[in-house]
Amino acid sequence: MRITRRKFIQVSGATAAGLAVSGLGFDLMPVKAHAQMLKTKYAKETTTICPYCAVGCGAIVHTSKKGDGRVINIEGDPGHVINRGALCSKGASLAQLTENENRLLEPMYRAPYAKEWKQVSWDWALTEIAKRAKKDRDATFIAKNAKGQVVNRTTAVVSGGSSALDNEECWIYQALMRALGLVYVEHQARI
Amino acid sequence: MTNHWIDIGNSDCILIMGSNAAENHPISFKYVTQAQMKGAKLINVDPRFTRTSSKADIFARLRGGTDIPFLGGMIKYILDNKLYNYEYVRHYTNACFIVGKEFSFKNGVFSGYDPKNRKYDKKAWAFEMDAKGVPKMDRTLKDSRCVFQLLKKHYSRYNTKLVSQITGTPEADLLKVYKEYAATGATGKAGTIMYAMGWTQHTVGTQNIRTMAIIQLLLGNIGVAGGGVNALRGESNVQGSTDHCLLWHIWPGYLKSARASNVSLAAYMKKWTPKSNDPLSANWWQNYPKYTVSLLKSFFGEKATKENDFGYDWLPRVDDGKTYSFLDMFDDMYRGKTKGMFCWGMNLCASLAHGNKNRQAMGKLDWLVNVNIFDSESASFWRGPGMNPSTIKTEVFSLPCCVSVEKEGSITNSGRWMQWRYQGPKPLGNSKSDGDIIMELGFKLKELYEKEGGPLPEPILNLKWDYMTNGMYDPHKVAKEINGYFLKDCTVKGKLCKKGTLVPSFAWLQADGSTSSANWLYCNSYTEKGNMSARRGQEDAVNKIGLYPEFAWCWPVNRRIIYNRASVDLKGQPFDKKDWVVKFVGDVKAGKYVSNKWIGDVPDGGWYPLQNPDGTAREDAKYSYIMRKHGHAQIFGPGLADGPFPEHYEPVESPLTKNPMRNNDQMLNPAVSIFTSDMDVYASASAKYPIVCSTYRVSEHWQTGLMTRPQPWLLELEPQVFVEMSEELAKEKGIKNGERVMVDSARGSLACTAIVTKRFEPFKIMGKTVHQVGVPWCFGWRWPESGTEDSANLLTPSIGDPNTKIPETKTFMVNVRKK
Amino acid sequence: MGGKSFFIDTSICTACRGCQVACKQWHDLPAEKTINRGTHENPADLSFDTYRLVRFREVVVGGKLQWLFFPEQCRHCIEAPCLETAGDPGAIYRDDKTGAIIFTANTKRLNADEIIEACPYNIPRKAPDGTLAKCDMCIDRVENGLLPACVQTCPTGAMNFGDRNEMLALARQRLAIVKKKHPKARLLDPDDVRVICLVTEDPKLYHEFAVASSLAFDISRVVALKRLIRPLTNLAARL
Repeated sequence: MRITRRKFIQVSGATAAGLAVSGLGFDLMPVKAHAQMLKTKYAKETTTICPYCAVGCGAIVHTSKKGDGRVINIEGDPGHVINRGALCSKGASLAQLTENENRLLEPMYRAPYAKEWKQVSWDWALTEIAKRAKKDRDATFIAKNAKGQVVNRTTAVVSGGSSALDNEECWIYQALMRALGLVYVEHQARI
Repeated sequence: MTNHWIDIGNSDCILIMGSNAAENHPISFKYVTQAQMKGAKLINVDPRFTRTSSKADIFARLRGGTDIPFLGGMIKYILDNKLYNYEYVRHYTNACFIVGKEFSFKNGVFSGYDPKNRKYDKKAWAFEMDAKGVPKMDRTLKDSRCVFQLLKKHYSRYNTKLVSQITGTPEADLLKVYKEYAATGATGKAGTIMYAMGWTQHTVGTQNIRTMAIIQLLLGNIGVAGGGVNALRGESNVQGSTDHCLLWHIWPGYLKSARASNVSLAAYMKKWTPKSNDPLSANWWQNYPKYTVSLLKSFFGEKATKENDFGYDWLPRVDDGKTYSFLDMFDDMYRGKTKGMFCWGMNLCASLAHGNKNRQAMGKLDWLVNVNIFDSESASFWRGPGMNPSTIKTEVFSLPCCVSVEKEGSITNSGRWMQWRYQGPKPLGNSKSDGDIIMELGFKLKELYEKEGGPLPEPILNLKWDYMTNGMYDPHKVAKEINGYFLKDCTVKGKLCKKGTLVPSFAWLQADGSTSSANWLYCNSYTEKGNMSARRGQEDAVNKIGLYPEFAWCWPVNRRIIYNRASVDLKGQPFDKKDWVVKFVGDVKAGKYVSNKWIGDVPDGGWYPLQNPDGTAREDAKYSYIMRKHGHAQIFGPGLADGPFPEHYEPVESPLTKNPMRNNDQMLNPAVSIFTSDMDVYASASAKYPIVCSTYRVSEHWQTGLMTRPQPWLLELEPQVFVEMSEELAKEKGIKNGERVMVDSARGSLACTAIVTKRFEPFKIMGKTVHQVGVPWCFGWRWPESGTEDSANLLTPSIGDPNTKIPETKTFMVNVRKK
Repeated sequence: MGGKSFFIDTSICTACRGCQVACKQWHDLPAEKTINRGTHENPADLSFDTYRLVRFREVVVGGKLQWLFFPEQCRHCIEAPCLETAGDPGAIYRDDKTGAIIFTANTKRLNADEIIEACPYNIPRKAPDGTLAKCDMCIDRVENGLLPACVQTCPTGAMNFGDRNEMLALARQRLAIVKKKHPKARLLDPDDVRVICLVTEDPKLYHEFAVASSLAFDISRVVALKRLIRPLTNLAARL
């Protein structure tokens, strides 16, 4: 179970109340039992860079070591020399980007003219995608253009994206697209 | 960015124009504020008063699409009042170059124009060369055909009175901005520009930036701390994805994609390797062949040999003179010419101009592969507003990728810093890292081609694809490939380099196939010393200007401020004694430098300065702008599609009927190409659409909002698409603050909540009242789930800048009405 | 006087609202369902689930348009009317080390409206069951040597936190500088609260409750009276 901050206050509040009413009058002294344990105390800490704008702010990700292994907290990294712990509203909501019930968690397929998505397996999806890419690439492959110059390309299969990929992913992605002969290879920098 | 985020804190005057940094790059304000606290002035120029404006010392309004007149007026002001940095201008820029006699500018058109094809023959703008093939120069800047004199002539028309009538900016405000910013031309002062899509998304986008670059060069503001030309890039890794060239016209490391006329590797090298006959020009791109062959070795590994041109024929070629941008892609798609599409980590149905056309185009595909964290307006286009799924044939595969904190790899920020991220939790559910999806798709394709063959199977079969460890995609293996390896034992620079070791930097790359490097710009990022991008060193460099050279890594070769040798005088001594970037500290004997040593940032090429302390010239020196063929920064830009000097043209949709600039009969940029499908409609100077409109976004949502709209915390802050308008316009239209209204353009309509605000004001343009409104593009019908919101790109036109083909979404015409 | 304090320099706040989300993030507070009301300010008010809210106000002062931003939160009063009104340290108490005013789940047993009325800044908000909530100074973070979430996330230095003496000194130092540009700049109730705000214009232009209402100061008399009779009423409540 994830102990939320609110639950925690309830627990500690109850303790404080128990202490406070002991004795006569209203001595404030015993009230010390509020949340002294951080929710991040036993979490795995990793550093990351914010995936939104290109300032490149550092953040610390706290991941539960036990239980579901999910994110407990993400906050600005005070040791990062650019943002020194700061994050804007988007960066501050990174935990909710990750632990979000709206996320797509299974490959989905929509058949021609269908009104609904259908859940499919990764292997089926990638196999079918590869088949279609090959079929249409081969059918529309142009070895020479109208002038008779070698061009070895297709313009009927196209790609858009992505600056949402890591550098290493960008490289292998463009390599695969270009190996297939795509020239319509574009991404967000053109927006 | 030529500079980087922390460096903004070193500035004496910050101009934020064409961006809204406080809202779209909020943490940049750490450094803007820091500079202001040290006495710097913040100037903000925008059609609308924003959160950025709220912190500005000077705020000036301008009508959207009139940045060139605004800045052209500043060029004239700087020249008229002699506020330029004379030494910098005459030694480091091409102001002294003599332009050929063929160059002219008449009635809004430069020489060499072909009106039928809407194209220029740039030969008409060539420099005059001497007998050795070096540009003729007049360092006194007096020759009537030198760039400096032509610049003066060109901008003599941009007087403040006319500029004010075009831009709608009061003359007093223009002069306030000009005076404050031009003061950074003084020695030791630095001014910086922070711009973004507010400048690029116009049919004169490239020339907007050129105008500012000219100002920065006149004032000596490039290469210095607190200066530069700084594009605030909008996506966390759009710098990296651009460096790795997920773009039709370039290959990784900004090498040109092969043109059909580049019939062999030799022809390709010959075409794209620049030659300079000036011994003082470093002409860094002369290394083109080394970078190209090293790239091909990374593509195809051992299969790339000298005999087969290192696999050059296996990469596709584009037709000469044709463009393959998004606008072209979707035009083809709309015309039914496209079979399949990979839409990877992008939401094109919300992000690209003319959303209605693009959504129709998607329905003409046979198949669409969509990879994203959330279902999007693009993956689900077939069930979007106005769509009937039973008539849409497109098969759609929607693949779930994981969030950045669930995988490992690097991204490159706007300041060119490559930074490594680590895996926190594992990918949620059945989502996978993009790297794993790409690798697996590659294996499937290789398997199919191995089994079945097909036309030219070699590129797929021979593609180097050994980036897995224990059955998983391994980002370290790719990062090392990007850096590059020595592929055989060899001796470079007198040092033995062992086969299989990582190349220390791009200066070691070879054109004979003995090295690989998947991107020469990143060579030096992952070496035998380790993963440089993962460094966390907290020490600043000796000059204490916030370079932090041991924190992460930046291209090229960890140089934090590029063009930094322009920050010193001819003797290598900084113009700015306090916030200096590099400094030459070689030994001196009898008035001559006798040893070579630079300190501070990694210098832009470590050659000796141009002069000795006694003022004698050195033959072993190089000009400071090492990436330019002739070693000089370009005030005159003869390589652009639409002219060597920026000129004002109206947007494709304008409230005016005629270009108000003197000696200019052209309404639209003459080099812009126009799409002709039945959906490509425009309404300029139309009574039906009399209001100027701009798109933008808000701090709380990012780009199309796909990574922020599914988050309740962010939706709480900005729940609905809105249209901001002045109190005057609202009164005219009878619109109340907070009510839902319709915004219409020639291409679409959008329901929005009206924000009636003092932050917009009507403009007086050429004596007429012109209203401007703004709508954010960060909404879409898929999230929030109400389905009531949508993207401002339903309104925008599919027309783009002639150099970049970036669509003109920052200025177009609309009407606003009660719903 | 020891303890901790915030110093909020609104003159450099850009309303990025990192603080507003960081507060929800750290406290695991749910988002509210909102609409655009013709302003960027959202939600419309503080609530049981919103401890912190950046107010946006467009004003014309001396012919010049200004967009004023004011982050609303509990001021952690030195003499806290809520605490005094409650008189129930199990529900509302002052943390010794920091001076933070902390609401516990036991606020449910208080008369919520009376506590809200008592606040000179109109801060506490009640849940349907009557439990009260507001900023807790991120006391768990502070006790563990971390900055409150809103302070850590602030990019410009608008949000500051530390020992009270240091914050007061910083506030006075900034005031002297800001005054040169904004002669009307002032600190809001610096001696009475642990959240010291610097504003550059009339505080009423930022938000109705930017500065303590005089009505609320009258309440201190009511409070003094209450203090006398409290043991009895409280005892009655417990019996």
